[in-house]
Amino acid sequence: MVSKRFVAKRLLLLVPVLFGVATVVFAILHLSPGDPAVAIAGQRASQAFVEQVRTDLGLNDPLWQQYLRFLGDVATFDFGQSYQIQRGTPVSQILADRLPITIELAVLGQLAGLLFGLPLGILSAVKQDTLTDHLTRIGALSGISIPIYWSGPLLILLFAQFLGILPTSGRIGSAHFIDAVTGFILVDTLLAGDLPAFRSAFRHLLLPIVVLGIYQMALISRMMRSSMIEVIRQDYMRTARAKGQGEKITTMKHGLRNAFIPVITIIGIQFGALLGGAVLTETVFEINGIGTLLVSAINQSDYPVVQATVLVFAVMYTLVNLLVDVTYSVLDPRIEQ
Amino acid sequence: MAGNDSQVSRRSFLKAAGTATVAATATSSVAGCLGGGGGGGGTLRYGRGSHSSTLDPQNTTSGEVAKVTNQAYEGLIGFQPGEAALTEALATDWTMDGSNVTLQLREDVTFHDGSDFTADDFIATYRRFVDDDYEYHFEDASAYGPFTLGNWIDSVSKDGDYTLNITLTQTYAPFLRNLAMFCAVVISQDAIEGDVNLDEEMVGTGPFELSELDDANNRIQLTAYDDYWGDAPNVNEVLFLTRGQNSTRAQALVEEEMEIIDGLDPDTIETVEGSDTASVETEQGINIGYMGFNMSRVEAFRDRRVRRAISYAIDTQSIVENIYSGIATQADQPIPPALFGHSDDLSPYPHDPEQAQSLLEEAGYGDGFSFELTTFQNPRGYNPAPLPTAETIRSNLDEVGIDVTIDDRQFSDYLTYTAEGRHDAALAGWYTDNADPDNFCYVLLHPQCEVPQGQDWVSWDTEGYNTSNITAWANQDYMNHVEEAQTTTTQSERADLYNEAVQIAHDEAPWVYIDYAEEVRGVGNGVSNYTISAIGGPHLDLVELE
Repeated sequence: MVSKRFVAKRLLLLVPVLFGVATVVFAILHLSPGDPAVAIAGQRASQAFVEQVRTDLGLNDPLWQQYLRFLGDVATFDFGQSYQIQRGTPVSQILADRLPITIELAVLGQLAGLLFGLPLGILSAVKQDTLTDHLTRIGALSGISIPIYWSGPLLILLFAQFLGILPTSGRIGSAHFIDAVTGFILVDTLLAGDLPAFRSAFRHLLLPIVVLGIYQMALISRMMRSSMIEVIRQDYMRTARAKGQGEKITTMKHGLRNAFIPVITIIGIQFGALLGGAVLTETVFEINGIGTLLVSAINQSDYPVVQATVLVFAVMYTLVNLLVDVTYSVLDPRIEQ
Repeated sequence: MAGNDSQVSRRSFLKAAGTATVAATATSSVAGCLGGGGGGGGTLRYGRGSHSSTLDPQNTTSGEVAKVTNQAYEGLIGFQPGEAALTEALATDWTMDGSNVTLQLREDVTFHDGSDFTADDFIATYRRFVDDDYEYHFEDASAYGPFTLGNWIDSVSKDGDYTLNITLTQTYAPFLRNLAMFCAVVISQDAIEGDVNLDEEMVGTGPFELSELDDANNRIQLTAYDDYWGDAPNVNEVLFLTRGQNSTRAQALVEEEMEIIDGLDPDTIETVEGSDTASVETEQGINIGYMGFNMSRVEAFRDRRVRRAISYAIDTQSIVENIYSGIATQADQPIPPALFGHSDDLSPYPHDPEQAQSLLEEAGYGDGFSFELTTFQNPRGYNPAPLPTAETIRSNLDEVGIDVTIDDRQFSDYLTYTAEGRHDAALAGWYTDNADPDNFCYVLLHPQCEVPQGQDWVSWDTEGYNTSNITAWANQDYMNHVEEAQTTTTQSERADLYNEAVQIAHDEAPWVYIDYAEEVRGVGNGVSNYTISAIGGPHLDLVELE
């Protein structure tokens, strides 16, 4: 059982983490070249106009004042308005629109990785040093080695261009307009009872999920294999077998639970990579999540959007790791102590 | 009215303007206008590189936004499809008499919110854009507010519901063209003064009205406006779709997921040309790419022989043919060929290193010198490959003993850097705002400040200096011609003045003239009656689908 104190302590730790992230992001943005006032005013603006924009945005104030104002705003969950991406729109609204898109992609990528990675890892461990094991390991090594910016276009070429069976980009066909209820396109199409739209969304998401899933699958299967090999050799496994328990039951009942802890660690740590991967995947497949939002915001010096997006990444990463720690405690209560 | 030399009328504009591009496109455009409503309907999917950051034409300087707002909003005056010439829009007639402009407005026009269009709507639109005293003044109005209207208009009044009188601060010939710009379109007074978020809604009089703004998927859906005053659009619906990567966009066109795409580069042109479902269409653009010498900073550049030497040393023909891969033509003067005032008597500086060397020796720089060339990093329409361009320039100038260091910057940083005059020389470019030569000659090469006697450059920190002129060049003869052209309202006389001004700019070489980029589109086989417009448009209401 996970104690409330443990969770509360970990949640409290979020505060210094986010403070650090906010400070670093603020510093990097304000020390890097590029002037948001110029980006907003555009090439046609006079110097006086640019100066006016700068004053309006408070960019002429001393840096420490801007920093304190920023921290104050963050503390009240006020991320300001977008300078450029969606001019005048509250950043919180933009994030609320975009976040489900990235979460949907990341979760589905993770699920695909787990769905294929776990059985392959177990199979590889059980069939150690057989052809199945070798093939799985080669597959895993390839999956880890292939970068998303290469596998993505390759899959687009194969499935969209040559075979013509999947769409090249986007989240849903241009003919389908679905009201965003949850922001998760698969869920929203189902809620709308629009099966053709669901099929279209599923077809659009398939390649991005595969691209994200390949890396996760490779990593999970490798970790599962090595962890399982270690567990299989443990005394309690031998005892279980000696008691006459079948190999499958021994592996799944006693082996899997114990072998799972290092895999959970990897899933947690890799969630950051998954978000980073989502940035690339969203770019390659033209999906409008917070990954592409961050890239566009950096390119257009949209400070409020960059700051809020990085903070959201940090919160998500930290929360997932908290979830991982909680899962540890469930799997092995000794860890909490 | 027409025939009176001191005035410019709608008729005289229609007669005289846009001579360079009329022939190729007029037939189809006129046919499209006359044949309105004759198409087979359907959905036109237009693919582009960026989503609209707003739907408010007064909140942006972005052409990407204008592509959409131009479908739903109309100005008092418009640009003819595929031409630089002006045409009627919400005004049916106009006169310009010195600093007084009178416009007769179209009657029986309704906005998408159902309200009637009258002179009050223009007055509210104008005041929202530039009038601080107006209760509904838009605090975040773009730099186009003062640039196009605010700096030139002294007052606006109405004479009844359908006559507008605009008094200018001075006689300013390009003003009518400013009225045709996308940012000067008329917004419903009810919307301005009501509870409408114009960043997300469009309340204009145009042929299409907003149906859906889908920011989560970067899509905008427009449908034909049933009560449009003109010919009904040939398509029922327009979908603006965004695909940031050129290759993805081209692939979507080839796969028939889109009907028209823009922003093609040489690689994607090949993709489209190699398909049997779409083709590439091009039209002369109204833009220029150049390298500007900062005379305020580098002493050597104050000598015209040095500037001319560098113009001879740089192989612009090779840049245009090999780096820009034929989607641009060599430039030779500040005014692009599609505009009146462009001189056909000029030709590009030939690549002649010997002549360059000789001029440098004559100027006392035979042993060469060094400078830093500032450039933006990402491709822009008028310069599809900034870094290879800079590399070629460095290599060309190395042959004549000039040592160039390349300083590449992200665009907003580049804008700040050059606006502060910290560059020695810079690659730059310009897309027209209003298809008037003044938009190139005055905006980009006139210092707009006091110039010391007998000097043809100014110090960057001179009060009021126009930092869009990245050269600090201040040639009095040139300035006189351009200023006179601003206050001359007869187009043929203006053309003569600009002909002389560009001759000076060519010979004095404050810029190395590099290219005029073409407008390139990928068009599906099922599309007809589509005309590429370098200014205004795209006129998607005229497009027909099979």
